[in-house]
Amino acid sequence: MRPAAVAAAFLRMDFVEDVSYPLWLILQHLALIVPVFIYYFIGELVGSAATVGGDYFTFAMIGLAVTTVLQAALTGFGWALGRAQDRGTFETLLVEPVPWTVLPFAMNLWRVLLGVVSGAIVFAIGLALGAQIDIGGVPAFLLILVLGLLASVGIGTVTAAFMVLSKRAQPLVVLYGLAASVLAGALFSVEQLPRALQYVSWAIPHTYVINAAREALMADPGSFTVPVGTAVIALGVFDAIALTGGLWLLSRSMQYARKMGLLSGY
Amino acid sequence: MSASAGIEPIVRVEGLSKIYRPTPAWMRALVRTAIRSDVVALDGVSFAVGRGEVCALVGPNGAGKTTTFRVLVGLTTPSAGRASVMGLDCETESVAVRRLVGWMPAEERSLLMRLTCAENLYFHGRLQGLKGNDLRSRIVSTLDRLGLGDRAEDAVVSLSAGMRARLQLARALLHDPIVLVLDEPTGSVDPVAAHELLGIITSIVEERGLAAVISSHRLEEIEALQSHVVLLDDGQVRYDGDLEALRRTWDRPRLELRFGGAAEARDAVARVQASGAGEAEVLDGGTVIVTALGGATVGRVMDSLGPLLASVTDVREVTTPLRDVLAQMYRRGARSVTS
Repeated sequence: MRPAAVAAAFLRMDFVEDVSYPLWLILQHLALIVPVFIYYFIGELVGSAATVGGDYFTFAMIGLAVTTVLQAALTGFGWALGRAQDRGTFETLLVEPVPWTVLPFAMNLWRVLLGVVSGAIVFAIGLALGAQIDIGGVPAFLLILVLGLLASVGIGTVTAAFMVLSKRAQPLVVLYGLAASVLAGALFSVEQLPRALQYVSWAIPHTYVINAAREALMADPGSFTVPVGTAVIALGVFDAIALTGGLWLLSRSMQYARKMGLLSGY
Repeated sequence: MSASAGIEPIVRVEGLSKIYRPTPAWMRALVRTAIRSDVVALDGVSFAVGRGEVCALVGPNGAGKTTTFRVLVGLTTPSAGRASVMGLDCETESVAVRRLVGWMPAEERSLLMRLTCAENLYFHGRLQGLKGNDLRSRIVSTLDRLGLGDRAEDAVVSLSAGMRARLQLARALLHDPIVLVLDEPTGSVDPVAAHELLGIITSIVEERGLAAVISSHRLEEIEALQSHVVLLDDGQVRYDGDLEALRRTWDRPRLELRFGGAAEARDAVARVQASGAGEAEVLDGGTVIVTALGGATVGRVMDSLGPLLASVTDVREVTTPLRDVLAQMYRRGARSVTS
């Protein structure tokens, strides 16, 4: 069966299910208004710092929006997996004639879509509050974002592989997501990190996505920049490693869970 | 009838063994182990199910029924042996096997509770590769067949336990499987709903020529199915055959004899026991219950009464409940008996 059809089936199922909780669905997006306003006022306070290109609000808004999208991709599969395990629907999914390697993408799609909507809302509020972005850089930004999403799905799949065995590995990926937003300089320049941590920053995809996004969208992205070309190459490598590694690990984890009889546990 | 008796098997289980081992030390950092030592769930289980046949797996909790089902649908790998559907290996060709099998798990939670009946089937149908008008017409006809046609747009959460069981069966049938694997299909429903559900299952298996493997704790249901029975205990097959043969093998004739008075009844007990034809006891007043021993026939029991035979006012054969037959079988230590 075509993976696109599987993904569409999951997308529809998640949509139907989530819209049955309309208030929760709306509030989780509206909640993003608060941090955008916080960074707006912080921007008013510290706006002219050279390391952030003289426009802290736009700098932070891009960091916040990109982190929001990547976090959704990181945690989406694990979240859906955990929910299916808790509800008792996970095994029913595994008995469908769908290769298990399709699940990280299919089960993640709705959460990623919600993440993209959240990111777009952050951008929309930011622009309404006066953030300045270069429209010409949007295609490059979108390319970087898609590559970053794939890397995040791959890393999320690694965590989900542990979740199949441990049932409660979600904190791992949440912790990684928070650490990655710090190390990648989501709200400040990477240059402000201690030297040792700056080296670590280069080892995570978030750094390339966030800083290349600023490079593409801001006239002056500050003193720490990642050229779009460099980011595309680096993220391509990350994608290959994270997706291949994630799917391999998930496959191994499923095989081990079948052998140990762990698939039914929760 | 057992597939092993002649019909080309659709489902074949051969020497299936499964040992659940404690999780290794490195994994205990992730999750605390549920078992502390090896658990033998299946030990050399073999049986076969043919087209149009219902095979009932019966046994106490922990007998290995669910593990057998999990191996069949690819959720667990065997430690030894093999399970196959239409010749496809359930371990190595599980994606292909899952197209041929309709699975109804024991848990009603396996349904998507917030979705409607139709949405649940739609989701399953899409994952089975069905689409468009074909899928929509299958959803309508399957829900109608299961008596849920007027509940198609109701959320599962609003259905009764019996309706949920029927919806689970509808999901198992939607993609026209060749094999039905039904784990405790009546586990959560009342006896009336259970009777209806089993009736539907029996007629669908017959209509479509499916091979069905079903488990149930309710022995009267197994009797009603008139199916091929595999009795499991401690992961081993204790019996594989039909219920009538099981009764013939393990059920000892029981007679209820009525006499005119208590003194004659006591005398009859003494005569029967002295002859070795059976175990006898006075039930009340002039009624005696005799259980034949050592293959003794009803005639031999009657013969042992001697002159008291003329005092018998009534004779009745007592049917032993299936649960008693099974209990007797387990007590007498049956080992891998095939009819």
